[in-house]
Amino acid sequence: MSVLSLQGISKSYGRIRALDNLSFDVPEGCIFGVLGPNGSGKTTLLSIVLDVLKADNGQFRWFGNPGSPEQRKKIGSLLETPNFYHYLSAANNLKITHSISGRGGATEIDHVLQKVSLYERRNSRFSSYSLGMKQRLAVAAALLGNPSVLVLDEPTNGLDPVGIAEIRELMLELNRNGHTIIMASHLLDEVEKVCTHVAILKKGTLLTTGPVEDILVDEDIIEISAANPEALVAAMKKWGIAQSVSVKDNRVYLVFPKGTARPDEINRYCFSQGIVLEHLVIKKKRLEAKFFELTNN
Amino acid sequence: MLHIVKTEWLKIQKYRAFWWVMAITALTYPGINYMGLAIYNQAGGKDNKQRDLVKMLVGNPFSFPETWHTTAYFSSWFIFIPAIVVIMLITNEYTYKTNRQNIIDGWSRKDFMVAKLMDVIMLSALVTVLYAVVALSIGLSNSPAEKADTKWQQAYYIGLFALQSFSQLSLAFLTGFLFRKSFIALAVFSFYFIIAEPVAVKVLKYKYHNEIGRFFPREISDRLLPVPAFVGKFNEDAYKASLNEIQYHVYYTLILLAITWMFCFWLNNRRDL
Repeated sequence: MSVLSLQGISKSYGRIRALDNLSFDVPEGCIFGVLGPNGSGKTTLLSIVLDVLKADNGQFRWFGNPGSPEQRKKIGSLLETPNFYHYLSAANNLKITHSISGRGGATEIDHVLQKVSLYERRNSRFSSYSLGMKQRLAVAAALLGNPSVLVLDEPTNGLDPVGIAEIRELMLELNRNGHTIIMASHLLDEVEKVCTHVAILKKGTLLTTGPVEDILVDEDIIEISAANPEALVAAMKKWGIAQSVSVKDNRVYLVFPKGTARPDEINRYCFSQGIVLEHLVIKKKRLEAKFFELTNN
Repeated sequence: MLHIVKTEWLKIQKYRAFWWVMAITALTYPGINYMGLAIYNQAGGKDNKQRDLVKMLVGNPFSFPETWHTTAYFSSWFIFIPAIVVIMLITNEYTYKTNRQNIIDGWSRKDFMVAKLMDVIMLSALVTVLYAVVALSIGLSNSPAEKADTKWQQAYYIGLFALQSFSQLSLAFLTGFLFRKSFIALAVFSFYFIIAEPVAVKVLKYKYHNEIGRFFPREISDRLLPVPAFVGKFNEDAYKASLNEIQYHVYYTLILLAITWMFCFWLNNRRDL
């Protein structure tokens, strides 16, 4: 079952087309990354599904039903920036979150503040917080009441490396416990480390969507090396089994159609040609490379 | 509805600026009226005959039942103080982007506007209670025993004061809602409320002999509380006419209020946050 389903969502700001006929589904229990360069429409998309912006065309469904306030109460969300009353403390701001959404309670406010390491500063005014602390509070608000779905827009914004690692671990832990997480980010490394599914946007259009493994692995790459790289390249070209053969930094790269690479056969063939391999690795394409490939950057 | 009021209370209860401005309001209402009373008591100087003459001319505006009218009129001068609170309460939401967060957390856009309507109603009720307490205490301490029966005769000014406060605070809300930035909204509201409209109404009336100014947003509810009876003595006909106009301005004010809030609800439902 899809947690979120988008059908033909379009949105324009004057003459600028921010989203163009966007359709995809977010499966239950996944960590879904919405990727795209700046201005690709990630935040606009999340704003529409959270009813902050109105779509010009198209519709979206949460759990199979049209979006409604009752559904939003069940979703923990962080959109763009941490939005809190500057004159109130963290604890009092979360009381407002609780009062509106009905999620959590007094004891749970303390619990989520401990989870994001803000408990000691729970009575300090929001205006006295650093950028990272504000972001932590926004994550705490999203976690309040342990919602089954979280929508997080750039959740690691402003966090230090420790904070980034903590949030990453938190997302993985939540996902292991069955939560669905939809996150927008331009940090490809982060997305690659935590997301199970992605949708890649560029200038408001959907370039591709699906499980991360399927998107990254559209071809098999084998990296090999030997004492004499020239002889190795010559042997591989002569054999003609790979789609392409290239050399970089004394390493030879063999590209095969997806699912057809046989490392054992390559090793056997090289040995039969009198070449002893020093190195043989099946390479996965990095999300960064795929992203640049898709977005032509 | 109750949870909306509770949420608004959570926003306000620790908001120091709110309490400071309310404290100033709480000082100005008794302040201006007791100042008026002191001036009245000293009118005519130490000479008893002169004092009696003044009192015969102007009556006793601070005893029952007239104190309800007089106190309402003077207190209404300071409506711009709670108006500052109203503007701050709505523009804060835009400054901190909490209007978006309230929707994200599960309020409908209608819930958000109902919350703001409740703020304005609550503030109107607060200043009305403050006015009523001041009027009652001044009346009780300045009315001769024989006027005890007339104590509640003009108590309908409580309702008129409440309606005027609600109408004028709603205009303050509209300004904050449209301009979103507190400094701009405060500047626009102050300029319009204190300078632009009063000047325009007077210019239209005295230069062009045109009464259209009575339908201007502030003037519509301003005429709910005409000048007190002792001022009216200088032009009895105009005073009587202004008293007769009150009933019509109750309807005009209600229509203006309905238009103001319907527009706010409609716009909030339409525009991106």
